[in-house]
Amino acid sequence: MVYTHKHPALLIMGLVMLAIGASVSLGWQDGIVEYLGLKKVVWEMTSLTYVFGVIAVVVGLWHLFGKHEEGNLDYYLSTVAGVIFILLIAMLVRWYVAPFVAVLSKGLGPVMGAKYLHQVLGLNYVVLGIVAGILVVNVFKVPRWAENGVRLSRLGLKTGVILLGTLYSAAELRQLGALSVVMIGFFVLGSVGMVLWFGARRNIPNSMAGVLSAGMGVCGVSATVAAAPVVQAKSVEIAYTIGTILLWGVGCMFLFPVIGHLLDMGHVQFGAWAGTGILNSAQVAGAALAYQPDGIETLKVAEIFNITRVLVLPIIVVWLAVWFVKREEDAPGVNVGRVIFEKFPMFVIGFLLMFALSSTGIFAPAEHYKGKYFDNDIAAEKLLSEDQVASLQGEAGKVQRQDRQAALTRLIENRKVMSLEDDDVLRGLANAKVLSKDATGLLKKAHKAVRHTAKKVAAFRTWITWLFAFGLVGLGMQITLASIKQAGGQPLVIGGIVGTTKAVLSLIVVLLFVQETI
Amino acid sequence: MTDTRSQDIDLQEEAGAKFHRGSALSIFKSDRREDFMALMLALLIALGVYLFL
Repeated sequence: MVYTHKHPALLIMGLVMLAIGASVSLGWQDGIVEYLGLKKVVWEMTSLTYVFGVIAVVVGLWHLFGKHEEGNLDYYLSTVAGVIFILLIAMLVRWYVAPFVAVLSKGLGPVMGAKYLHQVLGLNYVVLGIVAGILVVNVFKVPRWAENGVRLSRLGLKTGVILLGTLYSAAELRQLGALSVVMIGFFVLGSVGMVLWFGARRNIPNSMAGVLSAGMGVCGVSATVAAAPVVQAKSVEIAYTIGTILLWGVGCMFLFPVIGHLLDMGHVQFGAWAGTGILNSAQVAGAALAYQPDGIETLKVAEIFNITRVLVLPIIVVWLAVWFVKREEDAPGVNVGRVIFEKFPMFVIGFLLMFALSSTGIFAPAEHYKGKYFDNDIAAEKLLSEDQVASLQGEAGKVQRQDRQAALTRLIENRKVMSLEDDDVLRGLANAKVLSKDATGLLKKAHKAVRHTAKKVAAFRTWITWLFAFGLVGLGMQITLASIKQAGGQPLVIGGIVGTTKAVLSLIVVLLFVQETI
Repeated sequence: MTDTRSQDIDLQEEAGAKFHRGSALSIFKSDRREDFMALMLALLIALGVYLFL
């Protein structure tokens, strides 16, 4: 079968991208950039459009005029049209639709404290991108030429998760990992056990209970499909489970961020809650990015929880296999070792590999935090001047705490901050506003001189943001009404009870025990 | 109105069972292969970032 469609769409989309890039470069969109507050993303608007525009035009010409034969080249290059289709939608939503919604919302004034309506409802580029995808597939239709590309969206999400490994410090990973093992261990095993218990009480078939428990407990659709052969689930049972998970997961993806904003949850708290309470991996990422669209701190926390949950999948599959064999006399035996090997998610190894690479310091000094690192080997013009030092010396008597006095003395003697510890202490002094405004300004200047942004880490953040944006718009294009309509009957009732219990209990645990100190 | 053919994109057949997958579709033959390709792509991006920035 030949997958490439002789269609001008790819070529046209490439030309549209190039036109956007050129009009921004030439300043024709300056008014729009100003009105929508797009100055920060002008670099994205030119570089991404040029790169992907050229790719689209070249491959588009081949699609339209090339000779296509069955084979790998045809199969894989046929995906480019769908990829560009998703990217174009993501670009339009991120650069034009979401900022316009924000401008309208700000025009209404704050609605809850200092928050605007679009912030409370989470109407940002992530949510709007997913909604755009859902609209495309359900109201219109994903064009035939784009279908293969839409199937690449999960590859984008997995690549994004692997690259996230470059952004964690060892301390962060240790703390988040320990927390996630405890929470995921309790809630995953609890959910699986609860579904199996409810299933027995409500007399649903073992195969149905088995496949539903994997979907509700571990990571949604992937877990359902992985567990289905082990418990010999029928297609209608798989369909019931997926329908339940999607109905629940899509609802949570839109609802969790709103609740998070209403409760004013921190990034760590929300990430932990989303990673525990939402069933499907992609929807965890969607909710985390919807909660914090202008940064990826929440996504980092949520994905650690998600990865921990995915790692539990082989254990759950073995548990279900043993459980099923005990209940069904004619069930075939299970090779436990083989199941663990086959179901082990290899992309998690990729995440750990990236973390290991990053820890060697090849992308940024290993002690970097959120892409910033300390280095006081600075040029002479960045040192404090003699006058500035004299100004600080004149106010040193106002400082009472010994650690602050010592750090300030070292700053005065050396005209620069001497260590990371001193930097932290002096920032505390600046925030405490003990000194005059001018002297506080000098402390901030000294801090800026020794704190550097790791360009490579910043580049990884941009890549990750776009990989997830691509993956989530593509995810929206796979959420069909037909898949959600599959939900119903006892599985929906059991799934609803277990899902609600897990979401509410995990919220209580997070609010009580998870602090914003990581 | 919803185009009924638009709902076919997530139809999946696995071990004789046919169902709407609803998400997580892939062009690769197995999850393992997709994981491997994601790793290759991530390494390629990392190499690009390392060399050019």
